[in-house]
Amino acid sequence: MSATFRVGFLGVAHFHAESYAKALKKIPNCEIVGVYEEDTGLGNRFGEEFKIEYHASMSELLNKNLDAVIITSENSKHHEYVVNALDNDLHVLCEKPMTINLRDAEDIVCRVDKKGVKFQMCYVMRYHTVSILVKELIDSGVLGKPILMVGTNKLNRSLPLLRSWFTDPGLSGGGAVIDHTVHLADLMRWYTADEVVEVYTEVGKNVNKTIGVEDNFFTTVRFRSGPIGHIDGSWTYASGFYTWGDVAMEIIGTEGAILMDAFRQNIYFIGDKHPSNRLSWSYYGCDPDLAMVREFKRCIQEDRPPRATARDGLEGVKISLASYESSKRGEPVQLF
Amino acid sequence: MVDKIHVAVLGYGFMGSTHIDAWQMIEGCVVKGVWGRDFSKTKQFASERGVKAYSSLSEILDDRDIDVVDICTPTYTHADYAVQALEAGKHVIVEKPMALSLRDADRMIHAADKSGMKLMVAHVLRFFPDYMQVRKIVEEGGIGEICQARAFRGGPFPAWSPWFGDVVKSGGVAVDTAIHDVDFITWISSSSAHRVYAKIIRNVNGNLAKYDIAIINIRYGDGLIAFIEASWAHPPSFPFTMKLELDGTEGMITLDNQPPIPISLYTKNAKHSYAPESLPWKPMVHPFPLDPFYRELSHFVDCIRRDENPMTDGRVSRKSLEICLAAVKSSESGKPVNLPLEV
Repeated sequence: MSATFRVGFLGVAHFHAESYAKALKKIPNCEIVGVYEEDTGLGNRFGEEFKIEYHASMSELLNKNLDAVIITSENSKHHEYVVNALDNDLHVLCEKPMTINLRDAEDIVCRVDKKGVKFQMCYVMRYHTVSILVKELIDSGVLGKPILMVGTNKLNRSLPLLRSWFTDPGLSGGGAVIDHTVHLADLMRWYTADEVVEVYTEVGKNVNKTIGVEDNFFTTVRFRSGPIGHIDGSWTYASGFYTWGDVAMEIIGTEGAILMDAFRQNIYFIGDKHPSNRLSWSYYGCDPDLAMVREFKRCIQEDRPPRATARDGLEGVKISLASYESSKRGEPVQLF
Repeated sequence: MVDKIHVAVLGYGFMGSTHIDAWQMIEGCVVKGVWGRDFSKTKQFASERGVKAYSSLSEILDDRDIDVVDICTPTYTHADYAVQALEAGKHVIVEKPMALSLRDADRMIHAADKSGMKLMVAHVLRFFPDYMQVRKIVEEGGIGEICQARAFRGGPFPAWSPWFGDVVKSGGVAVDTAIHDVDFITWISSSSAHRVYAKIIRNVNGNLAKYDIAIINIRYGDGLIAFIEASWAHPPSFPFTMKLELDGTEGMITLDNQPPIPISLYTKNAKHSYAPESLPWKPMVHPFPLDPFYRELSHFVDCIRRDENPMTDGRVSRKSLEICLAAVKSSESGKPVNLPLEV
């Protein structure tokens, strides 16, 4: 690896592209070399915003002597972009969900194993100070044995409407289930060091009747060693909610309980003029995106495995797809 | 109808005591006496409250003064006592859950129908001012059509009374405690429950850690989904907490009984919090008419005086019991359970 860490963006349709780009700008010896994006307008705007070159051709960008790529495209394109990056021996930071079908997810795991490059999933909650502290508390044994985890990773309903692909199942793979199951599922897997063996999902009626994907669901999961998890990743928070959404979890153990609300803030802000003329939480907490991107660079430089790998990506895909299957069949779906 | 309504309270525990507080504030009501299974405890409780100690249930049923029997005994005794009281021509208000089986619930409903006496199940949550306010917002269309409901109700294991830990006597947390939110959500939803999927995690026989916790997913006929978590698994330091969230097509509501509270008083030795609208079980200072138990029992009195049906009569309450029993069944089978349940 060269002295400067050279990164390219493959697809920037996901909002997170911007926060990862901002994070990269804060990291020393790091250069965003360029951006590839199928949507010329979007790609150009992104290039201008971050003063990087826009490439209408993916292979052109991949030939720019890169170390790594960040894939923040529409979900359905992840697999193709990952394959291209791996074929060019590049390390990959991939937005969640890893893929929208199982075959592609398994294929990625297989190819990453063969190539031996670093593949890090954007499971950003593994890099959030609050959720890390919770992991440490659980590992310390202060809770006894965890028996139940009830989480919400709900989204302000106005957000998925800002980019139309989020509600286009061909590009997204579905609605709230595919979008917002994985963060909580991954945290629960991380906390228990265990795997989900059973998934049951109820998809309720939509709060937003104008979109063609689901926005309202509950998923109950069972882990192999017994603990139960409950996941609510609905896009049902009202548009005037304090912020974009939440990542909150209650963890009950045999000896205690933890309540975590990772993005909860104690500053309320309200202005006179739109859009700040509603009560909101003013965020000054940790920057998990920065921590995650920095860790990606370090894993490559120090040749160690990322905290969230392609396998973790695969498990997230499995659980989300099992949710759809369960909802369709009206019964629990077994994994493994 | 007689001018004054005379009440006999069954049970000298927490609920019996709470109900007596409320009855004594209701105009035109007199608590004549109490009865519980242990006569010496009954006598002590009666003398503390300045009422008569009945020596048996039949003494109450034979007492022609008594109009209302208020059943605050452990859940497993409800059905037999209620049926006897109804058959003896008494109006009955019974603590929730009304019973622990649909067969028993049906016996109670049948006895009420046959006797023509009023039967009300004390779903006190409907009379909490904050929950009433939530219902009002919903009724006024404030959040449009409700698509999702989430409720939490929990605290430490109820160690003060051993029968709670006996699932056969209390039904466990999934029946005893979750039924509050089941009833409330069913009340404000515009359709009935179709499917229930639940997990109950329980260790009530442990010497050290006792816990009982239930998570219940309910699917209603119109596509509303509800998630209820009821816990007797939180550590002793965890305050009793109630939360509710409703997500609708045009907005959302959240309710949380934890702070912010209207008044906090710090003194040398203690902190006192006053939230008269939402903390009814604290010594009710002011203003009493906001006390949910007062409102609940007043509703029953109004129904008796006006010959109207209580809003949580046997049939209404049976629906909530059915959902809770379906949750138990689902947890045992590991499968979703469709309603109605077979009796």
